[in-house]
Amino acid sequence: MGKVKVATVWFSGCAGCHMSLLDIDEVLIDLAGRVEFCNSPITDLKVFPEGGVDVTLVEGAIGNEEQLELARTVRAKSKIVISLGDCAVTGNVPALRNGIPPRELIEEIYGTSRTTNGALPYEVVPRLLERVRPLHEVIPVDYFLHGCPPPAGLIAKAVLALLDGKTPELAGADLKFG
Amino acid sequence: MAGRLEVLVCSGGACMSSHSLEMKEELVRQLETQLLTDEVRIVETGCMGPCQHGPLVLVYPEGVLYKNVAASDVAEIVTEHFLKGRVVERLLFRSETADQIIREHRSIPFFEKQMKIVLANCGAINPESIEEYIGAGGYEALGKAVTTMTPEGVVAEMKASGLRGRGGAGFPTGTKWDFVRREASPKKVVVCNADEGDPGAFMDRAVLEGDPHTVIEGLAIAAYAVGAQRGYVYVRAEYPLAISRLRSALDAARKLGLLGERIFDTAFSFDIEIRVGAGAFVCGEETALLASLEGRRGVPHPRPPYPSTSGMWQLPTLLNNVETYANVRHIIARGSAWFASIGTGESKGTKVFALSGNVRNTGLVEVPMGTTLGELIYDIGGGVPNGKKLKAVQTGGPSGGCIPVQHLNTPISYETLKELGAIVGSGGVIVLDEDTCMVNLARYFVEFTASESCGQCVPCRSGLVRMLDILDRITRGEGSMEDLALLEELAHTIRRSSLCGLGQTAPNPVLSTLRYFRHEYEAHIQNKTCPAAVCAALFVAPCEASCPAHVDVPAYVAHLSNGDFAKAFDVHMKTNPLPGICGRVCYAFCETKCQRAQIEESVAIRDLKRFMADYAMEHKLAGPKPVDRNGLRVAVVGSGPAGLTCGYFLAQLGYEPVLFEALPIAGGTMATGIPAYRLPRDILKADIDRIVKAGVRIELLSAVDDLEQLFAEGYAAVFVATGAMKGQTVALGETLPRGVVTGVEFLKGIHVDGGSEVGDEVVVIGGGNSAIDSARAALRLGAKRVTIAYRRARADMPASPEEIAEAIEEGVEILDMTSPVGVVGGERVEGLRCASMAAGPFDASGRRRPVPSDRPEIVLPASMVIVAVGQEATGELLRSAGIEVAKGGLVVVDPVTMRTSRPGIFAGGDATTGPATVVEAIGAGRRAAVAIDRFLGGPGAFEPEERVEVATSYDEDAYTQELDRAVPPMADVRTRIHSFAEVRGRFAKEQAMEEARRCLHCDRKQTEDGACCESSAAEAAGATTR
Amino acid sequence: MDKLRVKIDGRTILAAPGKTILEVAEENGIHIPTLCHLDGLRDVGACRLCIVDLYGQLVTSCTTKVADGMEIGTQTETVRAYRRTILELLFAEGNHVCSFCVSNGGCELQDLACELGMHSVRVPYTYRRERVDATHPRFLIDRDRCVLCGRCVRVCQEVEGAHTWGFAERGATVRVITDLAVPWGTAESCTSCGKCVEVCPTGAIARKGASNAEMRKHPDLVAELTERRARG
Repeated sequence: MGKVKVATVWFSGCAGCHMSLLDIDEVLIDLAGRVEFCNSPITDLKVFPEGGVDVTLVEGAIGNEEQLELARTVRAKSKIVISLGDCAVTGNVPALRNGIPPRELIEEIYGTSRTTNGALPYEVVPRLLERVRPLHEVIPVDYFLHGCPPPAGLIAKAVLALLDGKTPELAGADLKFG
Repeated sequence: MAGRLEVLVCSGGACMSSHSLEMKEELVRQLETQLLTDEVRIVETGCMGPCQHGPLVLVYPEGVLYKNVAASDVAEIVTEHFLKGRVVERLLFRSETADQIIREHRSIPFFEKQMKIVLANCGAINPESIEEYIGAGGYEALGKAVTTMTPEGVVAEMKASGLRGRGGAGFPTGTKWDFVRREASPKKVVVCNADEGDPGAFMDRAVLEGDPHTVIEGLAIAAYAVGAQRGYVYVRAEYPLAISRLRSALDAARKLGLLGERIFDTAFSFDIEIRVGAGAFVCGEETALLASLEGRRGVPHPRPPYPSTSGMWQLPTLLNNVETYANVRHIIARGSAWFASIGTGESKGTKVFALSGNVRNTGLVEVPMGTTLGELIYDIGGGVPNGKKLKAVQTGGPSGGCIPVQHLNTPISYETLKELGAIVGSGGVIVLDEDTCMVNLARYFVEFTASESCGQCVPCRSGLVRMLDILDRITRGEGSMEDLALLEELAHTIRRSSLCGLGQTAPNPVLSTLRYFRHEYEAHIQNKTCPAAVCAALFVAPCEASCPAHVDVPAYVAHLSNGDFAKAFDVHMKTNPLPGICGRVCYAFCETKCQRAQIEESVAIRDLKRFMADYAMEHKLAGPKPVDRNGLRVAVVGSGPAGLTCGYFLAQLGYEPVLFEALPIAGGTMATGIPAYRLPRDILKADIDRIVKAGVRIELLSAVDDLEQLFAEGYAAVFVATGAMKGQTVALGETLPRGVVTGVEFLKGIHVDGGSEVGDEVVVIGGGNSAIDSARAALRLGAKRVTIAYRRARADMPASPEEIAEAIEEGVEILDMTSPVGVVGGERVEGLRCASMAAGPFDASGRRRPVPSDRPEIVLPASMVIVAVGQEATGELLRSAGIEVAKGGLVVVDPVTMRTSRPGIFAGGDATTGPATVVEAIGAGRRAAVAIDRFLGGPGAFEPEERVEVATSYDEDAYTQELDRAVPPMADVRTRIHSFAEVRGRFAKEQAMEEARRCLHCDRKQTEDGACCESSAAEAAGATTR
Repeated sequence: MDKLRVKIDGRTILAAPGKTILEVAEENGIHIPTLCHLDGLRDVGACRLCIVDLYGQLVTSCTTKVADGMEIGTQTETVRAYRRTILELLFAEGNHVCSFCVSNGGCELQDLACELGMHSVRVPYTYRRERVDATHPRFLIDRDRCVLCGRCVRVCQEVEGAHTWGFAERGATVRVITDLAVPWGTAESCTSCGKCVEVCPTGAIARKGASNAEMRKHPDLVAELTERRARG
């Protein structure tokens, strides 16, 4: 049996969920034998594999057009999509900007701040969406791992269950936000 | 002296807002000038009912009812009627059916089927006069109750009457009274709920304004029965007139000792206070109302405890609605048996309804329970105005539901309406015509309840906002099928888990529209269309949305207004390649939705199209260029509008279409069925020639009998558009004599087979356009007398009103309610035996079904009988190819992809829909061309082209005031009936441009300034891919 | 008084008359989720999370008194589904960002998500924007985290008797206010007793100075108080 292809992507979030993923200690060794890590911010593979993957873990909420497009690619090319952490599941901190028009936000942060040169990033960087959305508002999501960040044990539990071909049993304290 | 005449002036809320008081003052002045003050007594009354026609004046002793009486009409009434005894006919009601003036108000259909118990005094007495109330039998019931009956006896009488709560829930009133009576407390309270809040409901208001004493008397009797000492009327502050009349009525009653200590010299003492509510809808809910009465925040609390055990100040409290109390005195005075004899098994008595919406006679009506919805809407309400079709009836306000047109025979009762997913509720009845979008309607009610939710319990407070959000998205075309599932789940959650009646019933408008009109939700979600052309985000303009071919009407009309006729023609050819034909025979769905009709009349779109098409023909315009040929051949079976259109657009997309036509002439029904006086054959030919020039080959006399053979011959796909060409017949006897033909045969005979003998007297059976065509064609072939026999009422004829009018003008006689039963004659027909019909119950289309009447049969002499009762498809060709064909010979296709059950074979037009219109077939033909292109690997789209709003070069403001719709010249009726020359003429150039300028440019969408829309399109796309 | 016989989730239970379904269930170790209910305060049935099935009808167990022969289902599939949907609606209407909330780890709403198995909120979040009122010297209220359970209003009325807290507006705009919607620090009726802080189930009403996840509340205080008062 070939290795299970796993990808992770990082949208609007603080990378804490990825830190937590690396925090699963010795389970990593177990995973190394069974998993082929494809595209991930923590590897050097930056292009989502054309041929598709088995599982994608998504950290972060959807905040700009690039993320929206990549989210759709992820859904099209992944058998299972997991929302990893509160930002992906609820919008969490990045969604706190919702209600403020993106233009005002950009002008305040890049235009009038003392530490910037007043150049407004409209051209080169992806455009901000009107509001930040949790992942499942944009694409169908199969599993939700709560937490900010999700505890390493919870990630290990979910991933190992999937590797064994089982449905991760997420209940009770597993569903604690924050 | 008492006066010779009594003049009742309606001063109900509606009439007062149409200036009835100014009119009354003028009346007073006129009477003074004419020295009639002693002879004529003026009475200001409450609401008379037909509010649509106010201000109303009712003159006794004759009982003459004048409508729409302005102050300027008063002088004429006084001098003509009061002085000379001549009724002013122009201000009288007219009968809808017989076109007669109606003098006596009781014969007006609006009043005929009503039965006034609750409203007996409304519009009949002066509500400010307790003497008039007593004169009309008032306070007799209270006297009878307190002096001759025990409280138990009163309660027993109420129970026996079968009266149920009129506030909406329909709880048995007597039982409720009994609960309160049995409570041991020495102090009890009776409360009248006059917090009427449903949009469109105004019956409580009318009763309080028109007959306040009846409510006071009801409350007093209730207090006596249950043992209460105090009464409260909780009335909304928005009803100042009701409050002031109630207040003066209370004062008057106290003065006469009808309220206060020792009423009628008995031990019974009772008084009433008015409490004015601040207009929160939720305060209509009884526990919230009681909280508000006590001076607390008006939010409901869970029951039990019910108010009957612990209500106001924790005292046993009887709470009923205004209309419930208004029934009480009649039950006590006339006995429960009398009351129980009115109505149906479980629902007794009458119910007051506030009729509103798309109905001729909006207003207040009272009918016995068991009256059918159809009687309420058609007989009393006068039906739907402006020639529109009835779609549904909304009852019960924001808590109620919609009942679709097929249920018009439903007798109104608590049970029957509940079964249909609606409720009697407080009695609001909103009539909805075909232009109503049911999704938008549900959205309106949810918006109302979401904003009126008290905000206490979560499902109602938060859930309704979420439902509104989903409905918003659906009406903007951004909804998904998952949204629809979530909407339904939320609706059920809110209905079952909310705290009070407001939340528990708030999802009803959504649930009931989902029950009967789910297809409209799906159209908004899947096709991104609003079938009623209401949801503005989903169409260019109402005319474009209602056109089955989706012709960009605003664009070509704007080009016409600018004098750019060729540009207009190019716009038209993008979606409809038969402008000459459509400019003459189109049903013009666009005109029925034209917003200009709100000012005066719709823009004459079809006549404009005809002008444009004639211009194009005369200037030999060809329309847009096709793309390069791709070498693929597609077979099209049938050369009617669907086949021609499909062929044309296939050619535009690069294909080589070949049309196979069995007859020696192309055009399908347009060539065989439409007489030349409507569609000249050179016009038909010009449209077809243009299509041939665009790259379509037509093989005449080439019947196709094997579809598979076409594939063998190398055709890549096949489109079947064989129409519905078989004439239907009616049972007229076993063997029919000569001279009895179908309309299809008759009309085909004229233009294809050459000439027909008709004799002197022709009878046509049917009521559709082909019946009118047959009749008018028969006239032109020399018939001396042509009669149309139609089994339903004339108003129900499916033929276009314009065609009917022209036929009558030409001398065609129409006998409606006349159903053929057999022919008279031997070898040749000599006459047609017909039965006279009467209007029966309503059928599923909302029309009355004709039933045999007791009038005798008649025989119409006839040298020829033309049976034009409809056409049908045979489906033979497809059935023989093993393709699924439904009942009635209709081919089964996917409405979007036009695919049949056999890949590669597509079908459209009448063959799939049954007999429909040319423009519907054109729409189908174009959709098929797109679908075939996609099937064969093409993009399934024409050159992507952003729609551009056409700028105009005239002063638009100058055309916003009332302007007459332009009328083209018509052939003289004396000469036109002798030839098949075209009847309708053409606009002159200036006339066409002026008419085009009447367009209101509904296609111009306002963009919200300042709104950040950087990525709204991307987000919308995101929402739809979920 | 004679005991009543009721059946809860198939178990036959003897119950004292006058008790609510919730009380009887709790006494017998049957847990029903609640939010607006608090021992010692009048029940209002506002949050609807304690709904149970009573002969096919859904009733709030906190306000419905037991009657002889009642058959009650506290965990039927419908009841559980509706509770979850209601909880989703609660999460969607506020800004319940647990990661930086004073009550993180000590929040009744957070616990309910675990208890009711709420994986995601299927309706779009509202993202309310209310200003934090920190005008009171010792307490603050972040209305974006308020679930409108009304415990603060009731404890202030029924236990403290100050009537400082109340509701304003209706529908989706309903909110808790102090006095006549003045800043809390200027509300003259407030006795600064802090009971509202203790009963608030989320981080909406909090003590100043508490940092992320530091706030722990003591809603049982009310039951204790009312009991002691009853004992005199």
